[in-house]
Amino acid sequence: MIASYELAVIGAGPAGMEAALAAAAAGVETAVIDGHPAPGGQVYMPLPAGFEASRPAGEETEGERLSRRLDAAPLARLWNAAVWGIFPDESGSGWSIALAGAEVPRRIHARLLILATGAYDTPVAFPGWTLPGVLTCGAALTLLKNQRIAPFRRVLVSGTGPLVLSAAAHLSAAGVAVAGVCEANRFSRRALRHAPTLLRESRRLGEGAGYLSRLLLAGTPYRTGWSVVEASGEGRVEKAVIARLDAAGAPLPGSERNVEVDGVIAGYGLTPNRGLAQMVGCRLEYLPQKGGWAPWRGENLQTSLPGVYCAGDCAGIAGAENSRLEGQIAGTAAARELGKITAQQAEDFSRRVRPAWAQQQRFARALAELYPLPPGLVSLLQEDTPLCRCEEVTLGAVKQAVAAGAQTLGEVKMLTRAGMGNCQGRMCERPVTAVLLRELGAGAAPETTGSYSVRPPLHPVPIGSLLEDEDS
Amino acid sequence: MRIKVTSKLLPEVRRGKPLRVAVNGKWVDAYAGETVAAVLLAEGIQVFRHTARARAPRGVYCGMGLCYECLVTVDEVRAVRACVTPVADGMRIEIDAEPAL
Ligand SMILES: Cc1cc2nc3c(=O)[nH]c(=O)nc-3n(C[C@H](O)[C@H](O)[C@H](O)COP(=O)(O)OP(=O)(O)OC[C@H]3O[C@@H](n4cnc5c(N)ncnc54)[C@H](O)[C@@H]3O)c2cc1C
Ligand code: FES
Repeated sequence: MIASYELAVIGAGPAGMEAALAAAAAGVETAVIDGHPAPGGQVYMPLPAGFEASRPAGEETEGERLSRRLDAAPLARLWNAAVWGIFPDESGSGWSIALAGAEVPRRIHARLLILATGAYDTPVAFPGWTLPGVLTCGAALTLLKNQRIAPFRRVLVSGTGPLVLSAAAHLSAAGVAVAGVCEANRFSRRALRHAPTLLRESRRLGEGAGYLSRLLLAGTPYRTGWSVVEASGEGRVEKAVIARLDAAGAPLPGSERNVEVDGVIAGYGLTPNRGLAQMVGCRLEYLPQKGGWAPWRGENLQTSLPGVYCAGDCAGIAGAENSRLEGQIAGTAAARELGKITAQQAEDFSRRVRPAWAQQQRFARALAELYPLPPGLVSLLQEDTPLCRCEEVTLGAVKQAVAAGAQTLGEVKMLTRAGMGNCQGRMCERPVTAVLLRELGAGAAPETTGSYSVRPPLHPVPIGSLLEDEDS
Repeated sequence: MRIKVTSKLLPEVRRGKPLRVAVNGKWVDAYAGETVAAVLLAEGIQVFRHTARARAPRGVYCGMGLCYECLVTVDEVRAVRACVTPVADGMRIEIDAEPAL
């Protein structure tokens, strides 16, 4: 017998945890699923099992509070459970969810879905970006905060947005020499326009200011309008080159400087992890202010597909607080759709939560305007720079494909194999799109070059589970 | 390197139980809860594998199981993502660290 639920929440970061809590509190039979061994997602990722924080008893972090509430709630918790496919149920009454993991069922069934799969660092390609020693901000922060590993002795941190400062400050706290921090954007009068919105988030501003002052006190060179333009070394990073960027984000010739480092941490904003939403057939929109392709959503966070909701960063980058609110909104909407609460109750809830949500959305828009992904970074690429890491497809090969008539990501993929590897194009979609837009020139836009398609299995799974699946 | 200094940003943490894993046959120290990637990086190993075509070196990139750059062999299972796989006592990890085949 396949376990069946009224609602499956996929992802247990702040969005998924809140969604599951809201739905369960309304009496919805809920399963919450995450590939990690414990709930938390990116911001609230707990220490690994076996590690212990030594701090005063009774002191609880926000993430611990949420996961304690989740543990006490009447719902099914499936951890170490990676969702590799979601299929319409044959009976037409919901979804069949395929799981990979040693101790979880292979399939569960759910009538409604809330997808809360989070985000990942936006990959920006530059010569040497595939060398061991080049890590994303996310990778560095997880190693530092969660694993307590300092991966390098001396690093350069380059990118744009709040995670750049966070990564640099944590590296410095771990005893790593931070040879420099490059923030690709310059701050201008644009910032002033958003001052009222930004100032209302004083805690987060304070956090950023704390990171910056820590770095400046340590004498770390902090440059705005600069970026890493190359990493090089024999088999691993030994040197990085940085350069000043022009207004479009292209490096200014003659401004290059060498930095001796054994690591480069690169974080150019975040990209919604929209794979599952796309796989089930939710219509996507290109939202540059929200990190790229993301599922279209209505005001209750429903997608274009009946019965499927998306909450948190997987539907557009807006931070942890926003994810929590969206989780509550989607969980409540699902409870309403299942008839567990009255229209009046849903309305009352909505009136309470929407002002805070609107403020988080304004804050996210302000950050997106202050820290856009500079389009000129595409000019860092050399003919032999790999764009697709999995299939080792270079800029030169992609340009040849364009010369042969390719105008979309799908066509580039057919001609070059870019995007066909294990990562299903998550790492090269951005770099290949940037090249397509440059090569095709006027008239080309992300809406015309498109996105990579997503097929099950989302992650490679043991052959056994696929075969068994065909039998059933 | 395992972080020894503590501060407000990275307060003190006790690691899990000590255990041993073999990296290409050589036994090294590890702690319960660490990932394969963390243990390799703590040993100063950055190069986890070489690519099929260009034999280009690769290691950790995304650190969250999405890029498939950190693939190693664990207890004879090939293509395991080091960044999301916890170590276990007696685990045998094989990396492909030499540029020449
Ligand atoms: C390293 C890092 C640090 C960050 N720090 C901050 C910060 O300090 N403040 C801030 O506001 N924002 C921060 N962010 C942004 C962050 O993404 C969001 O704020 C927040 O974590 C988003 O919450 P979420 O619930 O939408 O997604 P996440 O917290 O990313 O949670 C998504 C969850 O879905 C699970 N999942 C995804 N796909 C599957 C699948 N196929 N099967 C099973 N489970 C799956 C993942 O394992 C994960 O646990 C950070 C992001 C990163 C990458
Ligand atoms: S580093 Fe990306 S999957 Fe492990």
